[in-house]
Amino acid sequence: MVTNSLFKINAMILLLTVLMLLTGTAAFAQTDQHIFDQAGLLSDSEISDLEAYAAEKSREQGTEFLLLTTDSTEGLPIETYMGDFFDGLADETGTENAVLLTIDIGGREFYLAGFGTAEQRLDNERVELVLDRITPYMVEGQYAGAFRETIETADRYMEYKPGVNPESIFFQTWFQAAVALLLGGVVVGTMLYNSGGRNTTTAATYIDRDHTRVTRDSDRFRNKTVTRRRIPKNNNSGGGFGGGGMTGGGRSFSGGGRSF
Amino acid sequence: MVTHYKCPNCGSDMAFDAASGKLSCPNCGRQDDIETFPEENIQQKFAPEEAKEYHCENCGAVLLTEAETTATHCSFCGAPVILADRLTGDLAPAKVIPFTISKDEAVAAFKKWTKNGRLTPRGFMNGDRIKKMTGMYVPFWLYDIDGKAEVAAIGTRMRTYQQGDTVITETDFYDVYREIDLSYLKVPADASEKMDDELMDKLEPYDYSDLKDFRMPYLAGFLAEKYDFDEDALFSRIESKIVPYIDTYIGSTISGYSTVSYTNKQINANKKKVYYTLFPVWMVYYDFENKEHTFAMNGQTGKVVGKPPISGGKVAAWFMGIAVSTFAVLKTISYLVGGVLW
Repeated sequence: MVTNSLFKINAMILLLTVLMLLTGTAAFAQTDQHIFDQAGLLSDSEISDLEAYAAEKSREQGTEFLLLTTDSTEGLPIETYMGDFFDGLADETGTENAVLLTIDIGGREFYLAGFGTAEQRLDNERVELVLDRITPYMVEGQYAGAFRETIETADRYMEYKPGVNPESIFFQTWFQAAVALLLGGVVVGTMLYNSGGRNTTTAATYIDRDHTRVTRDSDRFRNKTVTRRRIPKNNNSGGGFGGGGMTGGGRSFSGGGRSF
Repeated sequence: MVTHYKCPNCGSDMAFDAASGKLSCPNCGRQDDIETFPEENIQQKFAPEEAKEYHCENCGAVLLTEAETTATHCSFCGAPVILADRLTGDLAPAKVIPFTISKDEAVAAFKKWTKNGRLTPRGFMNGDRIKKMTGMYVPFWLYDIDGKAEVAAIGTRMRTYQQGDTVITETDFYDVYREIDLSYLKVPADASEKMDDELMDKLEPYDYSDLKDFRMPYLAGFLAEKYDFDEDALFSRIESKIVPYIDTYIGSTISGYSTVSYTNKQINANKKKVYYTLFPVWMVYYDFENKEHTFAMNGQTGKVVGKPPISGGKVAAWFMGIAVSTFAVLKTISYLVGGVLW
């Protein structure tokens, strides 16, 4: 029974991989540039490394992983600036499915957006989770690391069905293994404990219901305490903004950003 | 004093038959009710007070018994013998639950039980190496307990609700007081030194609707013992047995609170009445891999207790089986919900 179900899982993984390979590459236009380092935050070697990495993951995921850096958003909010940039890129290359990380080094803000299919697959909630992970890199000025982390994490999250929390403990293999071992231990332990026969007498076995009773009882109110606790507002350090929106060119996106 | 029950038909020695609940003759098959068995067929002979030797009235052989034995078989001719002077006076049992499971039924029930052992080695599960089955009346004291409990506690009721961005927790404190009359009937404790207390406790419960006034013929054909511990010596064991019961009852009278903490709890339990009673137990001696395992079976309900041998392989197999299939199920669920296996 055990080996059988293991075999089934293996078969399922195989099938899944084949399906992904077949569908993943189809029906999506590819850009050959992923990094638009207008602010010059990255070195040449970083750019070539990340280009290769982004190209590989983009191909696998069917979604372009893009990085835009700028010195100034020309007085526009970072969402608008980013939206305009993407409208231009999309019109030019036909790329509609993309994950775009924008870094405004002048305003010290960054914004992560998901376009096309990525709007669902990297929804606002998941964007926030990615932002949580890359904020330390941004604060330390490791912009290459931040983009690499964005690709890695977004790539991982987008495997999950839309709407579920990919960081949920129930998806963690270690947690599932721990639950399985614990359950096995508890069940077998109980079986061992009961192997010599169980005590089946209870508090009700020998009780004389006719003569066991409460003869006097009182429940007197004594005092009352009231405690108040304010629910802390969700204040991300450095300030956060987001929730996605619509670009000037009419492309809707999921997204979120922070200052650093 | 030894007692034989002679068959009114053929003069053979009669024994108690668990299936019918009557005295039955192994020779001619005659069955007699215990209440109406003719006096003249009860053969008794007083042994001199000082002599600790009993003789079988059938063949005259010396009966070899332990000091606690009250019923046995003649080791020479096999006739059921009852040592009546060990069952009279202070030693007279008040009640008895007769065997309702015969030896054949006990063997069958034990074999069936061994098949249910999920962790026992395969060879043990045949149940075919029963070395000896002994039907034995084990002495118990049954206590009727009368008592009072007085309890004071502080109970809280908690209510949590949200108002704007504030969570408000209201806790009401109550002084709780209870006076309780307690009564427990016929709580048993085994009075035999050689019987393992834990094993005997696990044999419970017995069905008291079969509890009968003691009569000696019930013992014919079985082993029986007299008590080693008297009613006072065992009362502490009864106390430790019923205190959890009382705690449970007290808890059930204090309901409707989120938390209850006791500030004062006084329990006073006394024995009101004590019955010296014999309970039927089949002792099963079982050989397995050169070791003897002892099991006890409730001679009334057929419940079997005792530590069976454990197979390490089976324990590992069960553990692995449960753990691996749980893991597979969790993985499947996470795949269905999240779309990702790893």
